[in-house]
Amino acid sequence: MQDRNFYKSVLDFITDESFQRWVREKEDLSNWEEWTLENTERAKLVAEARQWILAMRVEEDSVSNQETQEALFLTWSKIRKSNSSSRITRLFQANFFRAAAAVLVIGLVTAGIYTKLSIIETNSNALNQYVVQGDSNGLIEQINNTDKPQLITLSDASSILLQPKSKLSYPKNFKGSIRKVYLSGEAFFEISKDPNKSFMVYANETVTKVYGTSFRIVAYSNQPNVEVLVRTGKVKVSGVQKSLANASNEVILYPNQATRFERKNQVFEKILDLTRDESLLQSAKSIERLNFEFRDIPVSQIFATIEQAYLVSIDFPMEKLKECYLTTSLIDEPLPEKLKIICASLGNNTRYEMNGNQIKIISNGCK
Amino acid sequence: MEKIKSFGNKISDSVLWNQLKAGDEESFSMLFERYYGSLVNYGKTLMPSEDIVKDCVQDVFVDIWKYSEKLNAAIVVKAYLFSCVRNRIARFRERDHIFSHVKDVDSFDFMFDFSVEERLIADESMASKVEYLNQCINNLPDRQKEALYLRYHQGLTVEQVAEVLDMNYQSTKNLLHRAISRLRSDFPISLVALLLANPTNF
Repeated sequence: MQDRNFYKSVLDFITDESFQRWVREKEDLSNWEEWTLENTERAKLVAEARQWILAMRVEEDSVSNQETQEALFLTWSKIRKSNSSSRITRLFQANFFRAAAAVLVIGLVTAGIYTKLSIIETNSNALNQYVVQGDSNGLIEQINNTDKPQLITLSDASSILLQPKSKLSYPKNFKGSIRKVYLSGEAFFEISKDPNKSFMVYANETVTKVYGTSFRIVAYSNQPNVEVLVRTGKVKVSGVQKSLANASNEVILYPNQATRFERKNQVFEKILDLTRDESLLQSAKSIERLNFEFRDIPVSQIFATIEQAYLVSIDFPMEKLKECYLTTSLIDEPLPEKLKIICASLGNNTRYEMNGNQIKIISNGCK
Repeated sequence: MEKIKSFGNKISDSVLWNQLKAGDEESFSMLFERYYGSLVNYGKTLMPSEDIVKDCVQDVFVDIWKYSEKLNAAIVVKAYLFSCVRNRIARFRERDHIFSHVKDVDSFDFMFDFSVEERLIADESMASKVEYLNQCINNLPDRQKEALYLRYHQGLTVEQVAEVLDMNYQSTKNLLHRAISRLRSDFPISLVALLLANPTNF
C-alpha cells in the first residue's frame, strides 16, 4: 500500500481500509488523528475525505451463511445435472438458437410494419372521440372521458394506460433527443428503451426522467400531491423549479419504490418499499398486479393476461395454438414489444395486427 | 496481489484457485462461500430481480467447475469472478430484450444509491453538506458510480476495477479521477449553479 504521506486525493483516503475504520468505527490503530493534525493542508483533505465516507454508506442485506450453503448445494446439483446431459443439451441449444434467430428476423420485420400501421390506426380512430390535435406545439391531446383505462401507443412503441378523467399530450412523432409528454391525471407508462433519447413526463410541478422502464404517475391538478410509483427500471423525479434552499428537490426511484411530492411545499417524500405502503398498494391497477413472468405457460393464458392488463381484446387461432407453451419474461416491455416477442417465440410466421384495442394474432401454430 | 484479510490465517484465493483447477471440490466450495454474498450484492446493483442474480452467480460457478482445466491460473480471482457475474447478467439482459435496441455492457444501468451515514453526523451544517454530497455522488454517470462502488466498497484495486468494467488501466484511473474531481475542488457551489442552470439534465 502507498505511504499515506503521499496521499494526494480524496480517493486515496477513502479506499484506505484503516482510514475507513477510523471514520466509521472510530478505531484508530494507525494514529490518524495525530497524523492529521500535523499539517493544515492535510487536515483539509482529511476533512473532505471524511465527508465522502459519510456520504457513501452502502446498505445491503448480508447474505446469510445458511443461504450461501443452500446456494452451494444448488450449484453442485446443477453441475451434476449438466455433467450427465451436457453434450446433448448443448447440441440441442445450438440448433435451437439458430432456428430462433431466423424466426426473430422475420418476426421483427413483419411486426415492425404492423406496429407502424397500427399507430396510424389508433390515432385516427381515437381522433373521432377524444383527440384534440395540433395545439400550438403540434401536440396531440388525448382525454379519457370514459370510465375505463385507455391504451395509447406512442410513435416510439411505448405504451401508456391512461386512467379516466386524465389527459396526456404527446407529439405525433418524437423529434430531437428528448421524448417529452405531459400528463394531467393518472397513467401507467411502459417506455421503450432508447439510450439516445431520454423520455420525460411533465406532470404538475414535477418532471420524471425515465431510463426505459414502467411506472405510474398520479398527478391530478386538483389534488395536493403528485405520486410516482416504479415497477421496473429506474426513474428520476425532480421539481420543475429548482430552488437553492431545497437540495432534496429530486429523487431517484428503483423498482417498487415510490415518491409523494407535496405540491404546496415542493418537497419529495420517498417511499422505499411500495409493498409496505397500504394506501399506494390499494390503488395499484390491475396491470401492476399481474405477473408477466411466464414459465411454461400456455400461450392462450398469456394472451388472457395481456387482455386483462391493457383492456384490449385478442383474437387468436385457438385450435392451432393449443399446444403452445412459452417461458418468457415480459415485465419490462411496452405492449407492442410484448406482442412482438410472443409472435417471434411462436415462430412459423406468427404475427400480430393491432387496430385500436383490437389485436389479431395470425399464426399457423408453433410447430 | 491478494490482500490477506486480518481475521485468521485464510488460504489465499490463488492457492484455492489452483487447487480447484486440479479438481479439488473443497477449494471450490471455499471460494464459493467466500464470494457468493458479495457477488450477489454486486449483481443486485445491475439487475433488480434477486432470483435472477442468484441464478447468474451460481451459473458462473457451474461454468468454472465445468471448464476448470481450461481456466487461466494467473488471474486475480476476485476480479475474475466479478467480471464473470457482470458479463453473465449482461448476457441475460440482452437475451431478455432481444428486440429492444442493444443495451450493451457499457450502457448498463447501475441501480444502486449510496446512503448517508447518519449515526456519525453530529451537527446540522455537516448534515446538509453530507446530504448534498451524497446526492451528487448518486447522480454521477452510471459507469463512474459503478467504478467508485467497486473500488471503494468491494475493495478492488484500480487494475481489478478495470478488468471488471473491461477497460484499460489508464481509462479506469481517469474515470475514477473524474468522478472525484468533478465533485471535489469546487464543491458545493458550482454544482448548485450547474443544477440551477440545467434543471432537467443530470
